[in-house]
Amino acid sequence: MDDRMGVGSRWRAVLPLLVMAVLTVPILMGYVWIIISTFSQRTYGLVPVDSAGRVGGLTLENWAFLWEDPNIWKVTLNSFTLAVGLTIGVVLVSALAGYALSRISFPGRKAFLGTTLILHAFPSVTLLISIYFVLRWITRVPILGRGIPVIGGFGYDTVGGVILVMLALQLPLGVWLMKGFFDNISWDMERAALIDGCTRLRVWWQIIMPQIKPGIAALAIFSFISGWNEFLIPYTYITDQEKSTIAAYLRSLMSDTAPVNYSQIAAVGLFQLIPVMIFFIFTQEYLLSIFAGGSKGGT
Amino acid sequence: MKLKLENLTKRWGAVYGARDVNIEVKDGEFVALLGPSGCGKTTTLLMVAGIYKPTAGVIRFGERVMNRVPPKNRNVGMVFQSYALYPHMTVFENLVFPMKLKRVPAKERRERAQQVAEMMGIGHLMDRKPGQLSGGQQQRVALGRALTKQPELLLFDEPLSNLDARLRLSMRAEIKRLQVNLGITSIYVTHDQVEAMTMADRIAVMRDGLLEAYCPPDELYDRPATLFVAGFVGNPPMNFLDVEVTQANGELRARCLGLDVAVPAERGARAAGKPKVTLGIRPEDLSIVLGEPGGEADTVVAGEVYVVEPLGRDDLIDVQIGQSHVNVLVNPGLGLRLGDPVRLKFNMEKAQFFDPETEQSLLWR
Amino acid sequence: MAMTQRPVRDPVTAQRAQGSFGDSFRSALGPLLFMGPAGFLVVAFFFIPVVIIIAFSLTDMSSSTGFQNWAWVQLENYRKILVHPSSGPILWNTIKYVVLTLSLFNVGMGLVIALLSTHVPRRTGFLFRALWLLPRLTPSVVYVMVWKYIAADAPYGILNQHLLGPLGVKATNWLPAQPWAFVIASNGFIGASFGMIIFTSAIESIPRDYMIAALVDGCSLWQRIRYVILPMIRWPLLFVTTYQTLSLFTSFEQILLLTDGQFGTEVWSLWAYHRALNNYWGNFQWGFGSALAAVLVVIGILMAIVYMRYFRFNELVQEPRIEAL
Ligand SMILES: Nc1ncnc2c1ncn2[C@@H]1O[C@H](COP(=O)(O)OP(=O)(O)OP(=O)(O)O)[C@@H](O)[C@H]1O
Ligand SMILES: [Mg+2]
Repeated sequence: MDDRMGVGSRWRAVLPLLVMAVLTVPILMGYVWIIISTFSQRTYGLVPVDSAGRVGGLTLENWAFLWEDPNIWKVTLNSFTLAVGLTIGVVLVSALAGYALSRISFPGRKAFLGTTLILHAFPSVTLLISIYFVLRWITRVPILGRGIPVIGGFGYDTVGGVILVMLALQLPLGVWLMKGFFDNISWDMERAALIDGCTRLRVWWQIIMPQIKPGIAALAIFSFISGWNEFLIPYTYITDQEKSTIAAYLRSLMSDTAPVNYSQIAAVGLFQLIPVMIFFIFTQEYLLSIFAGGSKGGT
Repeated sequence: MKLKLENLTKRWGAVYGARDVNIEVKDGEFVALLGPSGCGKTTTLLMVAGIYKPTAGVIRFGERVMNRVPPKNRNVGMVFQSYALYPHMTVFENLVFPMKLKRVPAKERRERAQQVAEMMGIGHLMDRKPGQLSGGQQQRVALGRALTKQPELLLFDEPLSNLDARLRLSMRAEIKRLQVNLGITSIYVTHDQVEAMTMADRIAVMRDGLLEAYCPPDELYDRPATLFVAGFVGNPPMNFLDVEVTQANGELRARCLGLDVAVPAERGARAAGKPKVTLGIRPEDLSIVLGEPGGEADTVVAGEVYVVEPLGRDDLIDVQIGQSHVNVLVNPGLGLRLGDPVRLKFNMEKAQFFDPETEQSLLWR
Repeated sequence: MAMTQRPVRDPVTAQRAQGSFGDSFRSALGPLLFMGPAGFLVVAFFFIPVVIIIAFSLTDMSSSTGFQNWAWVQLENYRKILVHPSSGPILWNTIKYVVLTLSLFNVGMGLVIALLSTHVPRRTGFLFRALWLLPRLTPSVVYVMVWKYIAADAPYGILNQHLLGPLGVKATNWLPAQPWAFVIASNGFIGASFGMIIFTSAIESIPRDYMIAALVDGCSLWQRIRYVILPMIRWPLLFVTTYQTLSLFTSFEQILLLTDGQFGTEVWSLWAYHRALNNYWGNFQWGFGSALAAVLVVIGILMAIVYMRYFRFNELVQEPRIEAL
């Protein structure tokens, strides 16, 4: 950024890199270890060793679950359904509410906005017991309770129910993020659309939503990640083994009576990380535009 | 379609956007809303469009009260200063969007869009996105979008202020021509008085939310009802002098330090006898008197050149008379310089008088 | 001039300009449509559960009483919390954990990484941010396992093997030795990425003109950060600070996996979890656990309100510029 050449400016260019590199060392170390350990029998620090402690002992055994355990594909699919369902739900519900909170005047608007942030203070996990009762009640609703294909329904022991609970927990983030994006959209454009003959709902869907694609993408990534990785909520509200998720599969490796094979856990973890990483790399441009949303703001 | 605003008021807490505005627009008429920034022009327009809800007062289209009618059912077209095009749609999609919402059949949509695009000279840009257009082209698209739905009322909110001076001139003529040809009732918001004067059939001048005047341009110029209107309309602006108008043996005279001129009776009648009135006179109603002083009419005043601003065709000269200053338009050929003594002839047939307290005209109200 | 005199107010039209029942119904419908789904979720999964939690906290419900044989005990559970010998230390732990993690990592490190990575070439910046996002993307079981291996005793531990060993420091398992360092770091490396992402995008969206103006004025990097960047990212700062404070208060998954509250690292939310859902004695004290959770809710709400006051939440919310529905 600086045109003046010399030692000073060279330092100024290198210093941020150096500082960042040092700060990032623990992460690098950790992930190098994960990768090495998934291909080793054991590790001493970052060094792969065999069972006798000699350097070496490289193996593919830890990855054998991919071709030996058909369950892995089932739980992967389940996790995928959960993550995708959650993502769609979070984006839709947050975008609807965020739009209203940013752009429609109605009584209780500020109060709801404040409340949404405060909601995040409600300890989700300690609400587990009481949410259980709510899900039980929903189960009794005909059809909606448990009669829907793919996600089962929205009651207890259904993927839909888990999605609903997680959706609620994601709302504070989603609503605030979306509201920030809507705030930046030009008022004149929305006015023009209303005069052209749109209802507010159509303005939202046809005019405004296409302007905040970066925001939608960012929120989608956050939601997908939490849906994909979440353990506690699906574990608590889904008892049916058929609907188990990959996070639960991972945990089951630890609670087995057999001695825990940490290298295999690392391998499953890495496997679980891959789709998210791909998702991230393709969408990272969007992820960084959380606050750059929309066209010119103001009037 | 006829439009009528009755006591239209918009208030946010203690802030008034518009206050008791009364305007009637005839069918096919072109009305300009003129006023300085923040005077409530946009507010008034947005109430007509249905975007803002009036705090009080009535909006009528024809005889129908429109206050609670949502914007989409008002059949108005609006052009914004910021263009407000839909950036994710092509020019063509922008043009047909309002028609789609009115459920115009697809074939007719295409035809009308094509026709409007030709009319606006944007036919070759149909497949581009707004981001790929120049400001002038975007404004044409915006205008086209307002026209394709065949509105009964056109609203313009400073549509030309983002364009350069040349383009503004040509677009001005174009909009006017279109409006006359199509005969659509229009309200045109601007803070540029030249725009208002050249385009409008009638001009509504607003100030701090209040309607100051509503009349045809020539009347606005020749017979300003208030001090504000007199000062706002006209470029360079009208000169104002604080004077006393005295009456002696049937003759009226306006006096202040260094100035003593005769006032025609029909002009000064209501100003007479007041110790303090504001005399208004336009720069073009002042002229330099050449030659030696003496023996001239009693509307000539001596002064001294204070500032010279060359404007090209004319020079704008600031002349000091006593403690006061007046602007005069003169021929650059005169070669006047700072400090030169000059004599000014006041064309008092065109003089205006205002009460400085109420700011009302002492001639037209 | 004809138009400037004011017509007398017509009572019929003046009345029609006022609202009627039908109108207010219609104007309520719009927001309802948009707010409905969110409103339902908030009521179903926050309000009702909190009411249930508060109700539970007034009972002696536990796995030994079941859902049938419980009794109301009024504020007994809250009294127990007050006099409980662990309350003080655990509250202190919680404060220590939240304050240190938040300031060092979630806001501090997040901001540092965002600032640094926006002042290096784009691709390099992206690479660093991607690395910092890894902990958030990784399943927590595996992520915590890595920290355990970093801390582990020789010959497995990375610290002992590659850093401290060569320096001649005596090998040990560092987790029990420095539990707080690991609790804070393991949470912080996840937490930092949230702030990092939000701050980075906020910094990148500062109009170029401001940055250039600052450069022209001869600002040093530090001055630019202090007087241009920080003031312009006030809103994201409010959001990250508030949101992450609350997140830290209620989160415990990493601690659960890392130390399970051993070595003096039990925090309030973990305590509630242990009491209500998961403890060695197999007696799940739902009533007492609910009371612990209710305390947390109250603290969280108070904190959120304080933050919103401090950052002048009201000024950050604009009024809509469209009144039609
Ligand atoms: N939504 C609003 N809330 C509060 N006050 C408003 C709002 N819109 C406008 N105002 C105020 O009402 C007054 C009139 O504003 P308006 O936008 O109508 O001015 P304008 O004549 O269009 O000015 P400009 O030429 O600058 O566009 C201003 O004082 C403005 O601050
Ligand atoms: Mg305006």
